[in-house]
Amino acid sequence: MQGLPLSFVDVEKTFHIKGQALTVFEQLTLDCPGGSFTALLGPSGCGKSTLLRLALELETADAGSILVGDERPSAARKTGAVGVAFQDAALLPWRNVEDNILLPFQVLGTKPPDPEHIGKLIRLVGLEGFEKARPEELSGGMRQRVAIARSLATEPRVLLMDEPFGALDLILRRQMNLELQRIWSAARPTTLLITHGVDEAVYLADRVIVLSARPAEILADITIPFARPRAPELLRDPQFHKLCDEIGAYLEPQQNQTEA
Amino acid sequence: MKSRHDTLGTAALLLLILIAWEVAGQLRLVADGTLPALSAILTRLFAERSDYWPHILATLETSGLGFIIGNLIAVAAALVFCLWPIGERLLRGVNIAAFAVPPIAIVPVLVIALDGDVARITLAALLVYFPTMTATLAGLREVDPRSLDLVSAYGGGKLKALLLVRLRAAVPAIMSGFQVAAPAAVLGAILAEFGSGARWGLGTFLLGSLGRGEPDRLWGIGLAATAIAGVGYGLAALAAQWTTGRNRAVTIAPPPSESTSPQVERWRRSLLTLIAVLLPFLFWQMLLLAGDLSPIIAKTPLGVLDYLFFSNASPSAQSRLLQALSETIPITIGGMFIGLAVAFLLALLSFATPVVMRALLPFALVTQTMPLVALTPLAVLIFGRGITVTLVITISVTFFAAFVLLAQGFALIPRPAFDLVDAYGASTLQKLRLIAIPASRKWLFVAARLAMPKALLGVMIAEWLATGKGLGNLLNQSRGYLDYGMIWTVAVVSVLVAIALYQLTYTAERLTER
Repeated sequence: MQGLPLSFVDVEKTFHIKGQALTVFEQLTLDCPGGSFTALLGPSGCGKSTLLRLALELETADAGSILVGDERPSAARKTGAVGVAFQDAALLPWRNVEDNILLPFQVLGTKPPDPEHIGKLIRLVGLEGFEKARPEELSGGMRQRVAIARSLATEPRVLLMDEPFGALDLILRRQMNLELQRIWSAARPTTLLITHGVDEAVYLADRVIVLSARPAEILADITIPFARPRAPELLRDPQFHKLCDEIGAYLEPQQNQTEA
Repeated sequence: MKSRHDTLGTAALLLLILIAWEVAGQLRLVADGTLPALSAILTRLFAERSDYWPHILATLETSGLGFIIGNLIAVAAALVFCLWPIGERLLRGVNIAAFAVPPIAIVPVLVIALDGDVARITLAALLVYFPTMTATLAGLREVDPRSLDLVSAYGGGKLKALLLVRLRAAVPAIMSGFQVAAPAAVLGAILAEFGSGARWGLGTFLLGSLGRGEPDRLWGIGLAATAIAGVGYGLAALAAQWTTGRNRAVTIAPPPSESTSPQVERWRRSLLTLIAVLLPFLFWQMLLLAGDLSPIIAKTPLGVLDYLFFSNASPSAQSRLLQALSETIPITIGGMFIGLAVAFLLALLSFATPVVMRALLPFALVTQTMPLVALTPLAVLIFGRGITVTLVITISVTFFAAFVLLAQGFALIPRPAFDLVDAYGASTLQKLRLIAIPASRKWLFVAARLAMPKALLGVMIAEWLATGKGLGNLLNQSRGYLDYGMIWTVAVVSVLVAIALYQLTYTAERLTER
């Protein structure tokens, strides 16, 4: 199953909070071809999460069009083509790990996968032995891993991830990055990853987009040249670090001030 | 949380209270024996146990059926209102009327219109409906928005969100509704037994024992009624405790987003309100048509208008009504505020020291089911026939529902919120001020809405049985004179007063939300 293209064309979005208009996007255009891996960087509050919510049609754009394949997001999500891991794990507190992972199937109304599939996902995120644990019994990092397993459970063709590794420690984060790369290489869902980690973005993505502060514009669109599969050794490669520094420079505060 | 030490403390306190009761009874300390010794009550109860059984079974059956039917309707209605908010707007008038009806005012009406058993079950179900419906609806709406986002993200609509998230998340709220409903069902069944001429039932038994002036018998009947309600309450409380632990959000949820209900134009909103106001009258008219009753006994809405404004009796009726209202309304509002304050303090107390709370709860429960009519003669002996007795009775009927809701509100606050302020060395008082009180604000208003009409009921019962003033007395007199016009008028006016007070708390909630 090939990943579906995801496109944002001339998207406009303004929030009205207590009578104040807050413009997040003015004519933002971003095209993610099918099977691509795009990482999204940008200062806090610039609208990265809003972009993801727009791609799920949890928010509606004021103008412009957003397409998943050739459908609106609200139609695409009903087919089970989209997987999502929110910044906050968003687990149902009364369900155990297994049952939380099964939730998308119940929402979609499709046949639940065989237990082996769920077991594989749980092992993948390193939670074997915690199948029957409830969220309150898990640490923050473990909860995020449940959310990651859940986002992969439906074998989505578009994968949206909002800082999924934010609550993990560095070692676990590296490990999960490796796993995500492996899963992604096998199934090639079109992936949009929001992150604060420049090295994570460069290691995982084909392309890194840097957004400016509100209203968000694309400051930089950098193609990552490293061949796949990328070995962990890449993280120590001078070229890798050079690229990271280059991208990091766009995120320096001065940059944003001169922009503004 | 509940350590052995706590359990021992609760038991010790409970024992202390029981001993104090026994001593006070033996020495006839309270109003010359109005409070008999516990041992005397229980001895009498045991000696007369064979007399009790048929009465207990009859009340158990009617209150049980009323409890089940009322709760089924309440939960179903809340589900419909959650899926279809306009339905709630249309039925708002019916909902409030069904809830605000002072049961004592419609007992004669129900007995005229319905078959004996049906009348009793109907009143029990009626008293159960509103607390469960509001608690359920609040629970269905007060849901972690992140869970709803997740369902939407996988293409789930309102129905999926209801079935997979809202319904399960609302279980503790539904259980707290059941807790309030259990004593309400028993009270409804017993109140309806008074006027219905039923042969069996604790209400009938109580009525037969009232004239004999034997406090130990009255208390015995009260305890039997309490036991029935206590079983229902206990089961619901257990279920609530079991489900709440698993429902507590793992992290602090962001406040739910602004109301998503679509903007309704002004004329449509006015139309909805108009229908909501008219529907109860329509139901009333249709019920009478279906019952095929004499227009002399059963007044229609127009019949009441005619009586109050266009008949020969109108001027006298109006002046009597206004006089009664001027006596009833101020004390209702005062009693409501004090009752709410007592509930809030008790909820705080139960939050700060669960030990004290668990010892007090059984006694709080007694004041709920110890039917007001049994309590009132005793209260009169203790407090006289002045304003104090009205206030005492009003507070005792209002505080319980408010207390259960507030305690539930406190219990739902996520633990990390407390851990956070604990980390900065917050005292219990600070925890209350910074976390518990703001987080329970919504519940405080729900509690106020529940308490308002109950306060009116308490005042009317006290007026009827003790003070001889106000709306309650007017209703009692009219029953004596077979003045059907006034019976219906008082019923309607008391509902309207209750609705006005209810709207007042609603407006207050809106104003504080700004």
